[in-house]
Amino acid sequence: MISLDHINVRAGSFELKDISFEVPKAGYGVVIGPAGSGKTTLLETIAGVLRPTSGRILIEGTDVTHAPPESRRLGIVYQHAYLFPHLSVRRNVEYGARSTAIVDDISERFELGELERRAVTSLSGGERQLVAMARALARRPAAILFDEPFSALDPRTRNTMRRVVRTIHREWGFTALQVTHDFSEAGLLGDVAIVLDEGRVVQQGEPEAVFRKPATPYIADFLGAENVFAGVVRSVDGAGSRLANREDEFGKRAVEFITDALTFYALGDVSDGPTHAVIRAEEVSLSTETSASSMKNQFHGRITEIVPAGALTRVTVDIGGTPIVAAITTRSARELCLATGNDVVAAFKATAIHFC
Amino acid sequence: MIRAIATVLVAIASSLFLLFIVGPIIGLVSAGGGRGIAGLASDAELRSALLLTIVTATTATVLGIIGATPLAYLLARRAFRGRAVVSALMDLPLVIPHPVAGIALLLVLGRGSPVGRMLYDAGVRVAGSATGIICAMLFVSAPLYVSAAREAFARVDARYESVARTLGDDAWQAFRRVTLPLSAKGLTAAAVVMWARAVSEFGAIVILTYNPKTASVLSYDRFTSYGLSEALPVAAVLVLFALIPLAALRALRAGEPIRG
Repeated sequence: MISLDHINVRAGSFELKDISFEVPKAGYGVVIGPAGSGKTTLLETIAGVLRPTSGRILIEGTDVTHAPPESRRLGIVYQHAYLFPHLSVRRNVEYGARSTAIVDDISERFELGELERRAVTSLSGGERQLVAMARALARRPAAILFDEPFSALDPRTRNTMRRVVRTIHREWGFTALQVTHDFSEAGLLGDVAIVLDEGRVVQQGEPEAVFRKPATPYIADFLGAENVFAGVVRSVDGAGSRLANREDEFGKRAVEFITDALTFYALGDVSDGPTHAVIRAEEVSLSTETSASSMKNQFHGRITEIVPAGALTRVTVDIGGTPIVAAITTRSARELCLATGNDVVAAFKATAIHFC
Repeated sequence: MIRAIATVLVAIASSLFLLFIVGPIIGLVSAGGGRGIAGLASDAELRSALLLTIVTATTATVLGIIGATPLAYLLARRAFRGRAVVSALMDLPLVIPHPVAGIALLLVLGRGSPVGRMLYDAGVRVAGSATGIICAMLFVSAPLYVSAAREAFARVDARYESVARTLGDDAWQAFRRVTLPLSAKGLTAAAVVMWARAVSEFGAIVILTYNPKTASVLSYDRFTSYGLSEALPVAAVLVLFALIPLAALRALRAGEPIRG
């Protein structure tokens, strides 16, 4: 377990302020944030390289706030690996290893056989990251901190290594905290996602929840939500309204959200007034004509851009001057014969709208 | 056209400067080198002065390494209150005239001072002894070592130590197993520079210890007592002698990339 309780740290002119979160024992936490948000500073504080000015750090229930790095039972893997250049690959992995058997095991898992006798200066960036991960894991720490460990790997190796790390994590049961700026990595690996910005935790929770319900428009944008709209929420009144103005058991009520010339129908625990609405592109469907359906938001528009990306295709539809992005399967795009300039209907459910 | 003229001007200026530095040295070696080398066999005073110079410079360098390495490391790695002041103090011996440094040392370590008297009572004579030569050499050359060693440590990213610490090393082990090997080349170069500077020292030594004579004092002594022709062989031998650390330094830096 890695637990931070109101941690404040100063590193030069940069400050981490009032950081609190917990990654449960054997859990996998992912810290997401833009460059300069304090991600590496956070890891170095947990590792004991930087001293907090206040607050507490607990590793596996033990208060290590003032303990030196070597007695914290955790490892750190930097983005730039920091392999010891005066040692061979094998000697690097052996550096803090518990036993030769563990070195052999971890070297096999990371497929380091070919590299072992090479000088670290001859390795590529991706190979360095693999060796750095192997070196940290060979110590069998109680917790491990990864700073963008897969960033220099090619896509295929990255997927393989994610699986390897996840397998070792499951088998050995260490607690992991990984820094990334790639939210898809958080979804693939993390049990807990912590969003950091300008030295503060701005949101934390399960990756799925953070992804679906970003706390601020900035987080929504950072997490790759294409459809973020500024507008005004207004209560839905009168017998003629299509949605009843009553709170449900979760405190949500039917509202209208007005942005530019569009009005969305939504459910939310939000007060009347200005706010932002987020609709993930995956929640938007496209059809060639209006249909009778439970989707309360259906808008006619014209396709302005089609970007195929593997199995998914992102289609931008201009609706009266407001662009809405839909992520649909490439197969659907083909079947609908979508092309730039075509008229289509973009639709999404009232529940697909998240206010922040 | 302008570029070609600029290139020619730069080449002329560089050649003149090089000639200004190398000319006197070539003149000195060609005039006295042969006699100086021959004198190594026949001139007992010259041999003795050279041996004394080597022993005292080496001792001063070893003392400098022992005393100044931790300070250089602290200056490179730790942000402590007064770091700028300590850095400035370490540079001070480099900017004051060396005879002034000798006078300062004499004031503190001579028999007239409390420290000097205490040392004398303990059987350690500073002024007029090899100990005085070592003190003078240490005072004027150690700051060069601190500066170069600090640079050598600063070139090793502190994160190597952080990684070593998380792999179980305490601070000393991380220094010994990681920082020291990675900065070894720079530290050796720093020691060579210090040694070379100690060998060539004259101003501070001549105030603190005229006798026994180091090679630099001997060349001055022969110049003032017997004239230029007698001083030439000693001076030429000193120049040839200085080539040894310079060659070592070049060899150490041979693998370094040219920055730009």
